[in-house]
Amino acid sequence: MSTEPASAPIEGVDFVPVGALPAATAGELVARVSRHLAVPCRLRRPDPELYPTLLTGRTQYDAHTLLRDLEARRDAPERILVAVTELDLALLVFTHVFGLARPGGGAAVVSLARLRPELYGLPADAALTLRRATAEILHELGHAAGLDHCQDFTCLMHFAPDVESIDLRGQTFCPHCAATLPPGLLAGSAVGEGVSGPG
Amino acid sequence: VNEPKSEKRPASILIVDDEAIVLDSLAGWFRQDGYRVETAKSGKEALRLLADRSFDIALVDIKMPGMDGLELQQRMAEADPNLTVVIMTAYASVESAVKALKAGAYDYVTKPFDPEELSHLVQRASEHRTLKSENVRLKERLEEISTPDPIVGTSAGMERVRELIGAVADSDATVLVKGESGTGKELVARAIHARSPRRYGPLVVVNCGALAEGVLESELFGHEKGAFTGAHEKHKGKFELADGGTIFLDEIGDVSQKVQVELLRVIEDKAVVRVGGQEPIRVDFRVVAATNQDLEEMVERGAFREDLFWRLNVFTIEIPPLRRRPEDIPALAHHFLDHYTQAMNRRPMELAPEALDALRSYSWPGNVRELQNALERAVVVGTPPTVRVADLPVRVTRSQEREEPAGRSLEEVERVHVRAILDDLGWNISQAAKELGIDRGTLYNKIKKYGLERPAGVP
Repeated sequence: MSTEPASAPIEGVDFVPVGALPAATAGELVARVSRHLAVPCRLRRPDPELYPTLLTGRTQYDAHTLLRDLEARRDAPERILVAVTELDLALLVFTHVFGLARPGGGAAVVSLARLRPELYGLPADAALTLRRATAEILHELGHAAGLDHCQDFTCLMHFAPDVESIDLRGQTFCPHCAATLPPGLLAGSAVGEGVSGPG
Repeated sequence: VNEPKSEKRPASILIVDDEAIVLDSLAGWFRQDGYRVETAKSGKEALRLLADRSFDIALVDIKMPGMDGLELQQRMAEADPNLTVVIMTAYASVESAVKALKAGAYDYVTKPFDPEELSHLVQRASEHRTLKSENVRLKERLEEISTPDPIVGTSAGMERVRELIGAVADSDATVLVKGESGTGKELVARAIHARSPRRYGPLVVVNCGALAEGVLESELFGHEKGAFTGAHEKHKGKFELADGGTIFLDEIGDVSQKVQVELLRVIEDKAVVRVGGQEPIRVDFRVVAATNQDLEEMVERGAFREDLFWRLNVFTIEIPPLRRRPEDIPALAHHFLDHYTQAMNRRPMELAPEALDALRSYSWPGNVRELQNALERAVVVGTPPTVRVADLPVRVTRSQEREEPAGRSLEEVERVHVRAILDDLGWNISQAAKELGIDRGTLYNKIKKYGLERPAGVP
């Protein structure tokens, strides 16, 4: 389901790599995401100060503090800031997260760590990982721009509990979610037909 | 956050944990899917929230300062027995799991939560809560619709019937209901079922007198596919359908000797073998049987198996015929009048005093069923707000016009009396002979001797 239509227009989306994310991967992701958006996308230089803390007693990083730090680094309210990392993100209460964003918070973090097929004992597949990461970034962008989850299983805002669900979900927003996003954010190709109507 | 969430109707969730980060993370996570979420930092605060409004699910941390999760779970159950509580624990241990479940929790979940598991757990808990609520609603609805028609009448005979129903309903004893046709034997069976522990199970009614032997066997015991010509499909019998409930065997006196043997076996073994089948199928049922025949007399002349008779005759309820309890006629008449005016959406109607007199004077050979039919007819043909004598069946009103003996000879008095009894009983020869204390042959001789004729309109 979605919240009420967001009114503030978004003029662009900035990406910042966190940790040792290869520049080629970062560049490819920005290129892929930008095809779905009607606003310009920029890749920022890595910020050495932007690094998540380890969760106590775990080998995973705190997505919550990373998101908080990222939100503090937004330089304009009309731009969304997205952090992309290879680090395995989680929350104190959750074993892992693929990404995190506060609804309408203007910032999002996405981890590639659990999107890779090799984590599940399957052959490495860079294209598949990029496809999943693109979908995941668009999903978290939707949250950052004000959307909640959507009941339409073909919509990018439908929740995905695992990578298989990300693969099955579809690569476009349903018309209702698209209409709820700030005007001018999405490219026409990012809007699908949807199957189950609003919410 | 892209995490698993329920796709069902959003439930309302109360999260109780002393750690703010846990409350914030979980609340945000559930709210993204449209759940109504409230949070509490302590057991006290949770109970305060629960006093103000109800929740579907409570996620409660087991370890909190002050009131711990297990104590809170118990206090919550007292405040709202329908609340589904899930205990959250930081360390997975058999001990904590057992404690949580013993305390009545629906389930327990270990921190940190696997998003997928938590999603499924909340979805299941939500469904559990919905099913519990539905179950309560359905039981209430079932109570409403399964409440049998009231047994009307304040005569000593009907008071006794009510007493006996009350005495036997709670037990699982087999009941034999005796009474003339139309006295309400099925109503008594329904009352027994409705007041028994089996009331949420089925009540299956079988009119044994209405079916031919072969059909009755298949109806009662079911049949396997191909058991006989036309048995294209496997068919469950009435005993199987009555599993967990009551089977009402009406007109049990009409059952053939062959079926009597099989009935005895099924009742004794509590298992049926379908026609054409081999394997016995265990069935849990209670038997209420009914008859308008004299089963003892049938046993004496070998028409009814003695062993089956004793198996059925564990507890007997005899319903007196309506003519033996005329004081019940006004109450019954008003009951049916109200019923049919409402059912036919007509204005309320009252019985004219003469009409009530006519109902009282008639002997009702068809018993309550005949009275019911008479009142239904009266509501159809009568003009509100009064039911007049003319609205009643001719047979009822004619009984008031009693013929007086033309002389004082014994023969004349006998002629008039025999005719009156025959008229009263709708020319039912068996009942009239019984009422007169003579056998059927003697009654036929008297009918012939006095030249009595069945009036037109009497079947």
